[in-house]
Parts: sequence; C-alpha cells; structure tokens
Amino acid sequence: MNKPHKRNRRIEMHHTFSGILIGVAITMGGCATTGTDIVEQQTIANKADPYEGFNRKMFVFNDSVDNYVAEPISNAYKWITPQFMQTGVFNFFNNLKNVNVVINDVLQAKFEQSAEDTGRLAINSTVGLGGLFDVAKHVGLEQNEEDFDQTLAVWGVPQGSYLVLPILGPSTARGIPGAVFDTAANPASYIGMPVQLVSMLNARASAEGSLKFIDEAALDPYVFTRESFLQWRNNLATDGNAEASSDVDSLEDEVLDGGKGAASRQDLSTNASNNAGFALRLDAEGKKFEQASHSFSSVAQSFDDTAKSFEDAGDKLDKLKKSKRRR
Amino acid sequence: MVLKNMKLALVFMFLLFGAMNVFAADNDAATARQIVEKFQADLIAVMKDGKALGYAGRYEKLKDPVSNSHELNKIARIVVGKEGEKLSEEQQQKLVDAFSKLSIASYAHNFKDYSGESFVFDSEEETTRGGVVVHSHFVIPDDKPVKFDYMLKEKGNSWRIINIIANGVSDLALKRSEYTTILQREGFDALIAKINEKIDNYSKQ
Repeated sequence: MNKPHKRNRRIEMHHTFSGILIGVAITMGGCATTGTDIVEQQTIANKADPYEGFNRKMFVFNDSVDNYVAEPISNAYKWITPQFMQTGVFNFFNNLKNVNVVINDVLQAKFEQSAEDTGRLAINSTVGLGGLFDVAKHVGLEQNEEDFDQTLAVWGVPQGSYLVLPILGPSTARGIPGAVFDTAANPASYIGMPVQLVSMLNARASAEGSLKFIDEAALDPYVFTRESFLQWRNNLATDGNAEASSDVDSLEDEVLDGGKGAASRQDLSTNASNNAGFALRLDAEGKKFEQASHSFSSVAQSFDDTAKSFEDAGDKLDKLKKSKRRR
Repeated sequence: MVLKNMKLALVFMFLLFGAMNVFAADNDAATARQIVEKFQADLIAVMKDGKALGYAGRYEKLKDPVSNSHELNKIARIVVGKEGEKLSEEQQQKLVDAFSKLSIASYAHNFKDYSGESFVFDSEEETTRGGVVVHSHFVIPDDKPVKFDYMLKEKGNSWRIINIIANGVSDLALKRSEYTTILQREGFDALIAKINEKIDNYSKQ
C-alpha cells in the first residue's frame, strides 16, 4: 500500500544523518535544461530557492547517482536481507539517533519530552537488545523527531536558502550546520566504515516508499521535492503548529479577487530582496558556478548565525523555560 | 447576585445553543465537519472493497464523492496562480477537466486496499476569513497516525474542501508551485500532457 502519508514518514527517514547521504536523488532528468530567461522568472517566483539553476543540476546529478549506484545496491540489499533483519537494522540506527533527539529536546527546553526520549533510548538499548527491537513503541513511547536544525530554528536562526547538496540531497543553509552537529552527536558516526555503509543502505531502503511516491505523484519532481521538504522541515521545527491553513487566503486573493495589484507588488518586493543574488544570474552557464559560490557564502552566514546563537544559548534556554512555565 | 446572574446567563446560553442545534438539524445544509466525515467514510468504504473493485471500479465509485466534497474548479484555478490569467477560456476548462480527473485518479490509486485504517475527528476551527479547518487524523494499524487538516470554504448553503494539509504539507501550496513552474518553463500543453501521463500511469497500476 502506498498512501500519501508514507511520503512524510519516509521523507523523514531521509533526513536521518545518512538518509540525506544518498538522499532524494529522484527520478527524471527531463526538465533539466532551461533557457536563461526562464531561469530568471524562476528566481522571482521562488524566494526560498534563489539558486534553482545550481540546485536543479545537483538534483539531476543525484538522480543519476541514485539510479546507477544507490538504487541497485539498495535493491540488492533488500533482496538478500530478510524483512525482520531490515527492520532490526532500521531500529538499531533509529535507536542511536535518539541520543541526538534527547540532546535536542534539552536544547529546546522540552524537558518532559527529553525524559520520555531518554526512557525510550534506555528501554530499547536494554530490553530491545541494543536497539534491534523497538520495544518502547509498544509501551506507548512514540519516536520523536528532533535535530539540530530544529533547535537552531527554535533559537531563531533563519532557515536560509534551499540547497541541493551533491550526494547528500535537499537541505537549507541552516540545515548544513545542523547536519554537522547531528553527525557529531550520533554514535553511529564513530563506529567506522562498514557500519556506516549499512546505515546508508538502510536509509536508502527506508526511503524507497517516498521515492516511489514522488515518482508517481510529481509533475515536476524537483519542485515537488523542494516544496514538500521545506514544508515538512517547517512543520517539524514548529512542532506541527505552522499556519499552513492561512496560506489559502493569500493564494486565493491573488487569483480570485483579480489581485493583480497585490501580486505585482509582491513581485517587486521579492525582486528587491533578491537583488544581490539576482545580479549573478544573467549568464546561464557562468551563473551556475557563481550561484554555487554564492550559496557557500550563505551557508557561511548560517554558520555565523549558528555560532552566535550558541554564544547566547544559555539566555535562550532560560527564556524558553520561562515562556513554557507561563503557558 | 453575580453568581445568580451568571447562572441565568448560562441557562440562557444553553437554550440558545439548543435552539440553534435544532435549527441546524432541520436544515439539510451540511456542516463543514459533515462534509469531511462523509467523504472520509466514502473513502474507507471504497478501500474496503478496493481489491474487488479494481482501479476502474474505485475511480467510478470515488468520482461523485470527490467532486461533491472538493471545490475542484476553484482549486484548479488557485494552483495555476497568476499564470492562469494568461490562459484562454478553453484552456481553463481543459485544465479543470484534467485536474479533476487527476484528483479522482490519485485517490483511486493511493487508497486501494484496506487493513484496518480509520479517520478520527479531532477538532474544528474557524479561520479569520470565514473558512473552516477540520482537524482529523488517519489511524494506521502498527504505524504512526497521519494528521489530515481539511480547509473548507462555504459554497451556497454547504461547504467544500479547498485544501488538504497532510502532516503539515499543504497540498494546494505544493501543487501550486509545481503547476506554476511548469507553466512558466514549459507552457500549457506540457502541463496538460504531464497531467494526462500521471492519470495514465495511475490507471495502469
């Protein structure tokens, strides 16, 4: 069965440290070629994705890597490995990830949840034979999704631009420092190569469902992946309280109330805010490189923001604690 | 004295609500929640017969429930955004037709069998602009439940679904990005061709 929900659940798995490794290197390279003018239009249309030209190239590259390398290996893994072992492997790595989840619970001042997640980690590491069995689920302790990217979001670091990384797949400027910390905080990162390889296989195999869903449902797989990734990350960072519903009204205005004025105004402001990056985008090919270097500087900016937010992490935790108490 | 007043006010409010409930029950206009629950019930019913019906059977059975609960005309117009202004009447009609077919086809394809799933109503809230959001979740045995939030708008004396947000991912926003991008990059004919290709793929599996 392949219902829409699988999409979210499976894409989630992607983002586990090595999940992004093989990542969303999805199907179809058909829409890779673009003319210059079209690219310009694009950058106006997508505030979150100023490096679309570069990103699309990466997306196509990742797709080929997935088609020719990751998918065949993953299929072989699934073919030779019995289902109970696949589940065990998934549980094992998922359990290790909970070290990271607990740390981030604390950093976001979610103390109750951190106690639960510690319990989850403890039960599965002991009764669950080192994490091979997810016993905690049956006791009613659900798996929570927390990572450093979400912590940075809670601390007020802006999300930054959408970036498709080679091999690693979709991320954002903030997601990169986030992933660095996640990797550092995950015990699986220190075990060594063969284990990491299994971890990558596991991630690709778990992502199978979402990749298939995107393949089936997406008219433009690049845009589909970007939109669902950004919305999903936003939803996680706000713990499901993102106001997705109100977006309908603004979309409706633009179309139904002959909202030409509002729409063009929007264009103008987007245009202005994009001005710096926009200048880079005049030449289709040279642009790719410049976009790449530009995107690196935006990542560097994100690292700066991260460092700054660590400096006053203490203050932030205090504030979060207080605001929790008030609620 | 104050207490007594409050009691009176409470009694009055209960009476008022009671009267309103009776009034609502008299009227056959369905509430937003009723529209959503009717649609979900239809969907589960089709899932239960899913295997026997086959794709074509599921498509036929879902045709009316989807068209009657979703505001497909408006959704199709929203997903093409400003690009829609450049389309001719004829193209717009073509788009609405293809889009409606795709919506039904994707339900028929994705909800194909039954293994104990169910929808549970959580809450209902009004939005600032006269819309209603019905919060519910989809329970899957041995799996995490999926949050389904339905955004509805009033149409005539009833309500219609205009957006579905699954685990925080807005279907309308997602489709809008896709459709406007394709219209900008490849044009109207390519969009229709892609939609038809998807419908075709759904019907084959």
